[in-house]
Amino acid sequence: MNTSSQKNELIFGYSSGSLGEAKSLLVSTYLYLNTFASKKASIFNNILAENFANIKDVAPKKINFKDCFYTTKASIKESSTLTNSEINPLTNIIGSFDKINWKSVFKGFKEFTLPLNDDDTIKLIKMDPGTSVPLHSHNGKEYILVVDGSFYDEHGEYKKGDLQINDQRIKHHPTACDKDGCICLSITENEVVFFGKFASLLNLVTFVKSFFK
Amino acid sequence: MENEKLVDLAKKVSKNRDEGAFSDLFDFFAPKINAYYLKNNLSFEQSEELTQEVLSVIWTKADLFNPQRSKFITWVFTIARNKKIDLHRKNKNRKAEDEDVRLYLYQNNKITDYEVQSSIDKIKQELDENQQKLIKMSFFEQKSHKIIAQELEIPIGTVKSRIRSTLNKMQKFLS
Repeated sequence: MNTSSQKNELIFGYSSGSLGEAKSLLVSTYLYLNTFASKKASIFNNILAENFANIKDVAPKKINFKDCFYTTKASIKESSTLTNSEINPLTNIIGSFDKINWKSVFKGFKEFTLPLNDDDTIKLIKMDPGTSVPLHSHNGKEYILVVDGSFYDEHGEYKKGDLQINDQRIKHHPTACDKDGCICLSITENEVVFFGKFASLLNLVTFVKSFFK
Repeated sequence: MENEKLVDLAKKVSKNRDEGAFSDLFDFFAPKINAYYLKNNLSFEQSEELTQEVLSVIWTKADLFNPQRSKFITWVFTIARNKKIDLHRKNKNRKAEDEDVRLYLYQNNKITDYEVQSSIDKIKQELDENQQKLIKMSFFEQKSHKIIAQELEIPIGTVKSRIRSTLNKMQKFLS
């Protein structure tokens, strides 16, 4: 499995400003938790800024420098992105994890859908220690960022700050680690497809649920 | 213009409210910011309007620029990019209070540009011209794989696999 190009593509998309809110939140939380990812974002941002430096100039026709003195539109709010800030973007949006109104999905597995305005749905998932999700794959891509605790599956162990990107080629059976369980941010682009003993029932539930999205 | 010169102009703007220095920054940046928006498929009107907004931020907020953290042009690019994101958000009819959300989604990186300079140099050295062009088209100009395939007259599958292999190659120089 080689997801480094997928991760790089995601971070590049973030640096270029092309991602929707759900993926932007996932990536900004990833950068907050993971120094290596943060370094990559900085590198990509600089590569884009070099493209910007070398762009073929097109002079604007209707504005001149004096117009900029009087514009009030230039948002004062920009301050926090223009200086260095180290705030956890996730807790900034949803508050503390203790106060989340979790919805129980099955024993040991809870979820909470974040209130963002986007085509992608982003959820927080909480798995109690030792809880597993049955073997499944995905019709689209699935992004899982560990924000607390850890989980493991056929491909390895994922700890706080690790990102897993799965596509339709990947089948997996994630289990929350025994000690702390696991809280993850997750975006699933398309339906999950289950395999194994209860697969037909689980797939039917997913199918029915898709009508209520 | 060299970074040193730009930083010097920015200082004159923030400390002395030097209109002449700002005029120089305007002449240097306005055509780049405008071109960036046009490349990203904004209309002439939108491009000029946003260009003016970015330069107004430079005029009012130049004191927030920290030369120890980044090059001036990277800082300006980030403002221009954020304005573009805000425009797309506005187009989706968001409520006014939602605008704060973007600030959390795009806060500044804790890594300084100078810490990663050697990786940037290495990547520039190792990627050939075609690979750099693909990165530029795909991420700076935000062209779809389909459009890139048409412009370069190669199959879309080739575009996808070349971008993937370029991103994989970059991975080696990122650590």
